[in-house]
Amino acid sequence: MVRFKHRYLLCEVVSDDPRCRLSLEDRALGGLIRDTIARVHGTFGAASCSIGFAVRYLNAYTGIVLLRCRKEFYQLVCSALPFITYLENKGHRYPCFLNTLHVGGTIRTCQKFLIRYNRRQLLILLQNCTDEGEREAIQKSVTKSCLLEERSDEEELSDSGGEEAAEAME
Amino acid sequence: MRKVSPTAGGARPAEAPVRRPGGRARGAGGVVSAGTCPTGSRQQEVAATGVQSACARRQMWSALDKMPAPATTYERIVYRNPSEHHYMKVCLEFEDHGVGLNVAQFKQLLISALKDLFGEVAAALPLDVLTYEEKTLSAILRICSSGLVKLWSSLTLLGSYKGKKCAFRVIQVSPFLLALSGNSRELVLD
Repeated sequence: MVRFKHRYLLCEVVSDDPRCRLSLEDRALGGLIRDTIARVHGTFGAASCSIGFAVRYLNAYTGIVLLRCRKEFYQLVCSALPFITYLENKGHRYPCFLNTLHVGGTIRTCQKFLIRYNRRQLLILLQNCTDEGEREAIQKSVTKSCLLEERSDEEELSDSGGEEAAEAME
Repeated sequence: MRKVSPTAGGARPAEAPVRRPGGRARGAGGVVSAGTCPTGSRQQEVAATGVQSACARRQMWSALDKMPAPATTYERIVYRNPSEHHYMKVCLEFEDHGVGLNVAQFKQLLISALKDLFGEVAAALPLDVLTYEEKTLSAILRICSSGLVKLWSSLTLLGSYKGKKCAFRVIQVSPFLLALSGNSRELVLD
């Protein structure tokens, strides 16, 4: 059928500074990405990418961002993401970069990928953690996510697991 | 691909299906098309007999089975556009005369036109000004073929230089530099 097709880019904001993720805002980030596309791809890039562009989902604790763009121009957006080097909030500049995790055609596929990715990240965190209290919290999250995986007809965003792990880290 | 070809003469159930090098339609007369049969003599033998007996057909099939695969190999060379660069002869026209540019300013103008429309990525394209005439403000440019559309469209949309109105006239575009030496539009009838 005739419809506008989109591509959803799942990205992670990676930064040394822990305050960087907390200062994530969807409008500020959207404006920053549009400016970067205008700089890298000019007027043509800015016009073509900003029609279907939106920040669909933002998680300040884990730094996950879901961007939407039109299918014909998603490569322009993808190629402009490495040119983002800092996030600006209230006059403070935090150096960071955007890591593209997954490109999907629908939000659902990106969500499925994110659930699997977060489960793997929990296991990696479990290996790397040093504190006993952190270890217990992460193990609890891992068992909870395994139980959820067994109940295969239930779909759930693993935000809660990620949040606990992030809080335990900080 | 193994296939049992249908024949008008009825069933030969004991025959094993025969492998063929390519799809070959066989009619009732069992005539084999010229390109696929390995030997010419066998083909003539087959074509000469109008209605074939089952025995002759069986013989032919068993003979084809025993023959080795044909040794012809074909190599296909596709020679699309061999030229990596495109060459453009352009001329810059100003609304009011008396504006002069040297070659560095000219190149700066081109790069800024690309940068306006297509950004940093296009401004980094390998663009060369091969010749430049300051009196007539005409030049021959060279750009890689993938960037031709970007360059031409940004030249089209360039409107002004330092506040003065100007326009680029594209006289000739060709993937070969030799083609720019002659322009049939400049021919004059005596």
